[in-house]
Amino acid sequence: MAQPVVELDRVGKTYYNGDVETPVLFDISFSIVPGEFVAIVGGSGSGKTTLLNLMGLLDRPTAGVIRVESQEVSQLDELERAKARRDRLGFIFQFHYLLPEFTVLENALMPCRMRGREFEKSQEPRMRELLKAVGLEDKLKVRPPQLSGGQQQRVAVVRSLANEPAVVFADEPTGNLDSKSGRLVFDLMKRLSRESGTAFVMVTHDDNFALEADRVIRIRDGRLVGAPTGLKGGE
Amino acid sequence: MLSYFIRSVAFRHLRYSVSQSLLTIGVVAISVLLIIYLRTIIGGTQQRITQNTTGAIPHITVEPPERTPVGAWQLSSLGLDTDNLYVGEVVNLPKAREVIEDWRLWLPSLDAVDPEVATVSPIVTGQAFMNRGSRRQSVRVTGVIPERHNGIVEIEKNLDAGRFIGMVSGDVVLGQKLARDFGLKLRDKVRLVGPEGLTLNFSVAGIYTTGFGQVDDGQVFVTLRDGQSLLELGGSISSFGIKLTDLYDAENVARRMVPVFPFKVQSWVVQNPNLFRTLDAQGQTRDLILIMTTIASGFGIGSILVMVVTSKYREIGILKAMGATPGEIQSIFVLEGLLLAFIGCLVGVPLGVLLLKGLAAIRSVGPDGRVDAPFLIEIDPMLLLGASLVAMATGVVASYFPARKAGQVDPMQVIRGS
Repeated sequence: MAQPVVELDRVGKTYYNGDVETPVLFDISFSIVPGEFVAIVGGSGSGKTTLLNLMGLLDRPTAGVIRVESQEVSQLDELERAKARRDRLGFIFQFHYLLPEFTVLENALMPCRMRGREFEKSQEPRMRELLKAVGLEDKLKVRPPQLSGGQQQRVAVVRSLANEPAVVFADEPTGNLDSKSGRLVFDLMKRLSRESGTAFVMVTHDDNFALEADRVIRIRDGRLVGAPTGLKGGE
Repeated sequence: MLSYFIRSVAFRHLRYSVSQSLLTIGVVAISVLLIIYLRTIIGGTQQRITQNTTGAIPHITVEPPERTPVGAWQLSSLGLDTDNLYVGEVVNLPKAREVIEDWRLWLPSLDAVDPEVATVSPIVTGQAFMNRGSRRQSVRVTGVIPERHNGIVEIEKNLDAGRFIGMVSGDVVLGQKLARDFGLKLRDKVRLVGPEGLTLNFSVAGIYTTGFGQVDDGQVFVTLRDGQSLLELGGSISSFGIKLTDLYDAENVARRMVPVFPFKVQSWVVQNPNLFRTLDAQGQTRDLILIMTTIASGFGIGSILVMVVTSKYREIGILKAMGATPGEIQSIFVLEGLLLAFIGCLVGVPLGVLLLKGLAAIRSVGPDGRVDAPFLIEIDPMLLLGASLVAMATGVVASYFPARKAGQVDPMQVIRGS
C-alpha cells in the first residue's frame, strides 16, 4: 500500500475562550493515500471544516498528531505552516476568491509566484495546459470579473494544483454554484485527481457527490461515524 | 529584499485601483508641494527681511567700552586717589568722547579673531551740516577706508556715477536722493561743517542708490582721515564694523569676542531683538503648518490603505491560506504606501519647482520705483530631497497600521465567510 500523504492519529480540537472550553473534534484517526478522492460529510456544526482546517495546516490540533508526507506537522509554528501550505498543499474554497487585478493565467500561477519568478516561469506551460484542459484556453488573459461563477471556480481548481501539491483540500467547492456548474467542477476535480495522482479531500453537503468519491468520511458531533467507506485506502 | 510576489501584488493593486491611487498620489503631491513652497517662500521672506535689516549695518559692532559710574566710596578699593576729594566742590569734568584711540593696533587682531570674519572696517561717524548755496541740511558723516567699508555696505556695486573704492582726501560720496535735493553732480563742490564748527570743502566723487533708506538719505561717506579731521577725533575712530560670512552666527562670534577685547561687542541680533523674535515666531508658524500638512498627508495615505485592506480582506485571507506569510502580506501594503508616497514626490517636487520658478519670474515696481522680484526664491536641492524623504517616511509610517491589520487576517475566518 502507498505511503499516506496525510495521516491523522487520535486528533482532537478544543477551542478555549477564557475559562470556557468548547471541544469540537474527538479522537479522529484516518489516513489518505496519493490519488485518493475523499469526501467528508456531516451536518452543520459537525466539525467538517475544522477537520479540513487542521489537515490543511490552517489550524493546530489540541490533541493527537497530524503527518503530511510522513512529517509531523501538528506543532509547526505559523511561518513553518505557511511554508508547508505553500509547498505541499492546495486549496479550493466555496468562494473562488480570485484576485481581480490579475489575469486568469496569473491567478492560476499565484501559488507559484509566491515561490519566485523562476518557479512561476517553469510552471507556466503546465498551467496553460491545465487551463486548456478545463476549457479556459481562450480566457487566459481575461480578468476574473469577466468570467461566470463556474468558470471562476474552474480557475480556482487549476490554481489548487499549481504547486503540484501532495493533497488538495476543497471546502464545499460546489456549494456556491448551480447544479450544472457544480457537476462540471466536481467532474473536473475527479479527473484532475485521477490524471495527476493528487489526493483530493472534499467537504460537501451533497450526497450525490459524496457517493462518487473513492471514500466517504462521515462526521457527527466531532466524531467519525462508522468505518470510512470507499474503494481505496479504507481503514 | 522584497520578493517578486510582494512587488507584483503591490504594483498590481495600485494599477488596478487607479482612482484611489491617483487620489492618494494627489494628497502626497500637494503636501510635498506645500512643504517646498512654504519653506522656500517663508525662508526667502525671512532672508529678505534679514538682508534689508543687516545689509546696511555691520553684523558685529565693536565700540568703546561704556563708562560705568563709580561711587566715591568705591574709589579707594579701585586704587584711585581719594586724598583730594572734597564733598561739595564743583568739578567740571572734561567732556569725554567715547572713541577707540589705538585702533591700528587692534585691527590685525580683529581681522584674525574668527574664521567667519569677512571684513573689519574702522569707522568714524558723527553729525555735520552740509552746505551748498543757500541749502543747509544735517547729515551723518561716515569716515571710512572705502576698500574695507565696501565689505560692510556695497556702495561700489550700487554706484549711479563716479567711484567709492579709490576715493581720496577731499572726496565725498553720497546717496542719489541727497544729491538730487542739493542738485549735485559729479565733481560739484560741497561744504561740510563739523560739530565743533570746523568747515571742510569736498568734491562729489560718487553718487549711489543702495535701496537702504538710512544709507541713501542723509548719509555721506568721506575718507577716514577726512572724517577724523571734520569730527576732530585726532587719530581715533568711533567704532569697528565687522561683516561675517554667516550673519546668523553673529551672536556666537560676538560672545566669543567679548572676553578677548576690552570693548563693547554687540551683534545685530542683540541690536534688533524684535526682528529676531518676529522671524522666530514666523519660523515656528511655518513649522507648525508643515507638521500639520505632513500629518494630513499621512492620514490620506493611511485611510486609503485601510479602505484597500478592508476591500481585499477575502483575497488577503486566500493568499494566506495558500501560504503567504504575515510578513509578506504586511510588506505588500507597506510597499504600496511607499510607492504612493514616492510617486506623489515625483509629481509634487516638479510642481513645487515649477511654482517657485513662476513666482521667481514675477517682477513688480517697489515704492522706491525700482523694479524688483517680490519673492526672494532660492531652490535648495536639499529641501527637495528632504521634502521627498519626509513624504516617503510618512507613507511608510501611515501604511504600517493597515499593513499590520492585513498581516493579521485569519484565513479561517475568510473560509468560514465571516
